[in-house]
Amino acid sequence: MRAQLMWRTLPSLVLGLLFLSTPVMGSCLDKDQELLRQLQKQADIMQRTSMLLNPYIQSQGLDKDGLKEHCRERPGTFPSKEALQRLSRQELLRALNTMLDHVLHRLMALQQDIPKAQDLETVNRAKQNIRGFKNNIHCMAQLLPGSSERTEPPPIGPGTSPSPTPTPDTFQRRLEGCRFLHGYHRFMHSVGQVFREWAESPSRSRRHSPRRGLWKGARRVPLSRGNKRLLPRGQLPR
Amino acid sequence: MTSVLLPLCERNPEPMALFSVSQTAFLLAFLSLRTYQSEGLSEPLPWAPESLKVSVNTTCQCLHLQWTVHNLAHHQEFRMVFQIEISRIKTSNVIWVENYTTTVKWNQVLHWSWESKLPLECAKHFIRMRSAVDAAKTPGPRVWSSWSSWEEADVQNSLGQDPLFIFPKDKLVEEGSNVTICYVSKSHQNNISCYLEGVRMQGEQLDPNVSVFNLNHVAFIRETGTNIYCKPGQGDGIKGTVLFVSKVLQEPKDFSCETQDFMTLNCTWDPGSDTGLLKQLSQSYTLFESFSGKKTLCKHKSWCLWQVAPESQDMYNFTLMAENYLRKRSVHLLFNLTHRVHPMAPFSVLFKNVSATSATMTWKVHSIGKYYTLLCQVELYGEGKVTQHNISVKVDGARLFSGLEPDTEYLAQVRCANGDHFWKWSEWTHQNFTTAEAAPSEAPDVWRNVKTVQGRCVVTLFWKPLSKPQAHGKILFYNIVIEYLDRTSVSEVLSIPAPASGTELPLNQCSSQIRITASNSVGTSPASVLVVSREPGNEEVEEERVKGTEDGFPLSWNPQPRHVTGYLVEWCEQPRDPPCDLQWKNLGPNVTSTVVSSDAFRPGVRYNFRIYGISTERVPYLLARKTGYSQELAPSDNPQVVMTNLTSHSFTLSWKNYSTESQTSFIQGYHVYLKSKAGRCHSGSEKAVLSDDVVCCKYKIDNPEQKTFVVENLQPESFYEFLVTPYTSVGEGPHDAFAKVTTPDEYSPTLIRILLPTVFCILLIMITCYLKSQWMKEKCYPDIPDPYKSSVLSLIKSKENPHLTIMNIKDCVPDSIEVLNKQEGTRKSLTETESTKPTYLYLLPTEKRYSSPGPCICFENFTYNQAASDSASCGHVPVPPKAPPSQLGLLTSPENLLKALEKNYMNSLGEIPAGETSLNYVSQLASPMSGDMSNLPTNPPEPALCSEYKMQMAIPLGLASPPSSGSSSLSSITLLDEGEHYH
Repeated sequence: MRAQLMWRTLPSLVLGLLFLSTPVMGSCLDKDQELLRQLQKQADIMQRTSMLLNPYIQSQGLDKDGLKEHCRERPGTFPSKEALQRLSRQELLRALNTMLDHVLHRLMALQQDIPKAQDLETVNRAKQNIRGFKNNIHCMAQLLPGSSERTEPPPIGPGTSPSPTPTPDTFQRRLEGCRFLHGYHRFMHSVGQVFREWAESPSRSRRHSPRRGLWKGARRVPLSRGNKRLLPRGQLPR
Repeated sequence: MTSVLLPLCERNPEPMALFSVSQTAFLLAFLSLRTYQSEGLSEPLPWAPESLKVSVNTTCQCLHLQWTVHNLAHHQEFRMVFQIEISRIKTSNVIWVENYTTTVKWNQVLHWSWESKLPLECAKHFIRMRSAVDAAKTPGPRVWSSWSSWEEADVQNSLGQDPLFIFPKDKLVEEGSNVTICYVSKSHQNNISCYLEGVRMQGEQLDPNVSVFNLNHVAFIRETGTNIYCKPGQGDGIKGTVLFVSKVLQEPKDFSCETQDFMTLNCTWDPGSDTGLLKQLSQSYTLFESFSGKKTLCKHKSWCLWQVAPESQDMYNFTLMAENYLRKRSVHLLFNLTHRVHPMAPFSVLFKNVSATSATMTWKVHSIGKYYTLLCQVELYGEGKVTQHNISVKVDGARLFSGLEPDTEYLAQVRCANGDHFWKWSEWTHQNFTTAEAAPSEAPDVWRNVKTVQGRCVVTLFWKPLSKPQAHGKILFYNIVIEYLDRTSVSEVLSIPAPASGTELPLNQCSSQIRITASNSVGTSPASVLVVSREPGNEEVEEERVKGTEDGFPLSWNPQPRHVTGYLVEWCEQPRDPPCDLQWKNLGPNVTSTVVSSDAFRPGVRYNFRIYGISTERVPYLLARKTGYSQELAPSDNPQVVMTNLTSHSFTLSWKNYSTESQTSFIQGYHVYLKSKAGRCHSGSEKAVLSDDVVCCKYKIDNPEQKTFVVENLQPESFYEFLVTPYTSVGEGPHDAFAKVTTPDEYSPTLIRILLPTVFCILLIMITCYLKSQWMKEKCYPDIPDPYKSSVLSLIKSKENPHLTIMNIKDCVPDSIEVLNKQEGTRKSLTETESTKPTYLYLLPTEKRYSSPGPCICFENFTYNQAASDSASCGHVPVPPKAPPSQLGLLTSPENLLKALEKNYMNSLGEIPAGETSLNYVSQLASPMSGDMSNLPTNPPEPALCSEYKMQMAIPLGLASPPSSGSSSLSSITLLDEGEHYH
């Protein structure tokens, strides 16, 4: 219950802070296509396992046969691509912003178990990437119609509880961290694909009615409130 | 396994009186106890342990026991021994027995801990204890109380519902220690496999659900620990633990403390190799000062700051403690603070009054108190030299540097130390400065080359740039003043901007004096003076050879009788033209030899030297010319040889384009190698074996200027190879490319001399004949002799002989016609072929054929009449062998004959088989014969008496062969018998 309450209130809080902090984040591009391309590129970069997962596996000694097979995303940690596709663009951006906040928190926790400065630098770089990505999400959200609306994050099913309770056991925590990062890269791959679909059909939106140029002709597809069932996750993009 | 006594019970201070009373009471009680024991052993000891409680601390894998001893009187104290037994899995499996001795007081709760090697989660443990009074001072066996009941420590019940557990969790051990790992399976699976860093471990079964793995001498693998994990054969229930293996904590080395300002102490040490664990598990360092009793936790692993107490504390006794979860290390240091002063580096280093030769350096130091004097060390680097000065300083320091070089950059640096108790120098503080420029101190070193161009003297001046100590600044330009000695021309002044190193000056008059100076921004150098004389100098001095050595070229010359101000040696590479990089060297007046050395000298390059004496009038005159190599090298190339005058016995070689002057060594002569198949060497040559073991003849030419050679005594029509190579004192040229030559035939020239004119003459005749062919034809072989034009006719006419006339064809009666049928063999059978035998048509009465002479018949040759030839030559007149004579008679006239021929020909067309037929005239001289050639008549035929045979010049094709030839076919046909004809 506590977690559910947190997941309901936190995203709206974060998104509100995000919008309120626009002057702090600097100026945004007013060219939506260019911004979308930038988001795609960022997602392409962030989906690479060499950016985060592989160094983590190596530093934690998980790169052993019989062990690395267990470094797979746990169902329910991140929303699937299908769940993302069902969202409207505005909902997707909000959900994305929320998920990345959780990733940031989790990365900070993972840093405690990383002794080498080089690996720490890798995590810090990933965090910077996420922050940059969040900034662009914020800018993209401003270009969307109805950006002034304050709504709670959409229910996207499994992604609503991305951060499992850390276990005191170092080994389990290590394995969970590995699975989390695996899911993170898969998630960013799905995000990149969804953005690519946006670019391929710029005039189509799933759930929003047209208000401005880019989003003209958008169609709103309501998502069931009760659709919180965990969906099976795919494997990492190959 | 170790037992740990936890100091949880505190001692209560008791008054001395009470202590003595209690001691007396204890003794009395003890005596009564002994008496009681001796009287009845079956009674239990009144001070048995009671209320035993066992707790488990899984963090340290410890069993914690607590109990009490009842029946103790108030303020009563005993020294008691508690015997503790620990069993594993079942009570009968005792794994640990320990006697714990302690002093027991009234109402005291006792504690004892035991650390298990096996993780406590892996098995149940049972604990019991009994007690006895510690009577070490009294002899006799110890009297034990009865055992307490077994207390069970079972952690497995609280593990949870997971199917698999692995213990211990996150254990921290030192490298090289032994560790026991176990797993607990609640799913009763037997195929659980466990791995250490991917390598499967072999364990032992403790009970059906628990297996144990003993790891001996564990090694450090990585900072994040060693992964140990187990997984069942089926399912995804992997479980694991991380074993943090720490390297052994080392004792800090080189522990030292010092101050820079009497405010803080900076203590440093070498921590040694890192324990290699996560930051949270890594060692910590603590600094403790015993005099002040202060302690500080250091933030860094190799240094720590200590605040000096405001009150004057001179002595410090530090203890540095390194500590991690497993080990402690400490080192000590005792010192006087004033002896550990390490001043800060001086600052504000400045230079004042910087001139061309001096400068003053000033600096400031951080004060370490008014009672201390600093010793400062100043170093000056410049011109490759270092000077050092020590100066005592309170606050500010200053130092004058003198004797400096103008326009030179210097580096000055200063450092300081406590002058009273030297400990360490401060860091250097350094600063650069450059002295001011001054006028050049030396005249430029100048030399010249004089030549005459169109009757006018042209002087090329060369000068060497002034060295830095001579220039005293940047040379901006060179001044040249030309003064003509006869004073007929006005002096000329030139200014050549730097960095030129020479110039060419056409002089109005040769006799002149040239003054050259160098100028920088401050002033002008002294002048170099050169005098150009009208006389060209002694150019006829013979050139000598000089041999270079490793040190250079040793040159010497004869002392001059007249007074000289000095000598000058100039040199440059061969050839001099175009002008080489002229170098020169000035020498004193008393010098008559020198060694010219230069890094520019290269092996294999010829250098020409000229030695001049400089007169008092500054006029140079040539004393000697020398040439030589710093190191002679064997020739790398052979001359380009041209071969001429090739005869059957000799040829001439020539290499006149080969320059002996521009070679890599002095050419002493040439070797001519000649290879031949004969392998014989004639006089003037000697046998030589080349590097490839080929034997050849070698001719030697001693004169390097002889560049032609005639190779003689060669064999005609022979193959030779030759090579011309120069030889020097260090070897000869390469034996690489032999030229090839083959001597011509000995008679060929003679034959050619004969044949050529002959052929020419023949050709000439042929051409002439061709041109005059018509004339020749008419004269020698006219086409058709015309009897009417014949000279014989004129002769006849002249003689008026009526009997001699030319027969008309009408007057001739043919005697016979031979008709030939040429058979195509493929179309007729043999019998058919035989039926087409040639048939002879006898045109004359043949009762006695050829037996008697008949009337005269003249037969004109139709071949000379084209019309006749066309109509008759191809006609075939098949005549039946038994043709009636009446028919023959009709043929006696030519007209009838032709008609008959035509008629018979037409009639016989259907009878003639396919094939060729031909009509031949039989010579009137031929006689009919029968049989083959062997049946030739012995008697030659008699010629007809009155017959006259007209000239037959043309012969049908195929009849050109003489009739006597046996192989002939058609001509011989006339010799065949009737009915026998062979094709």
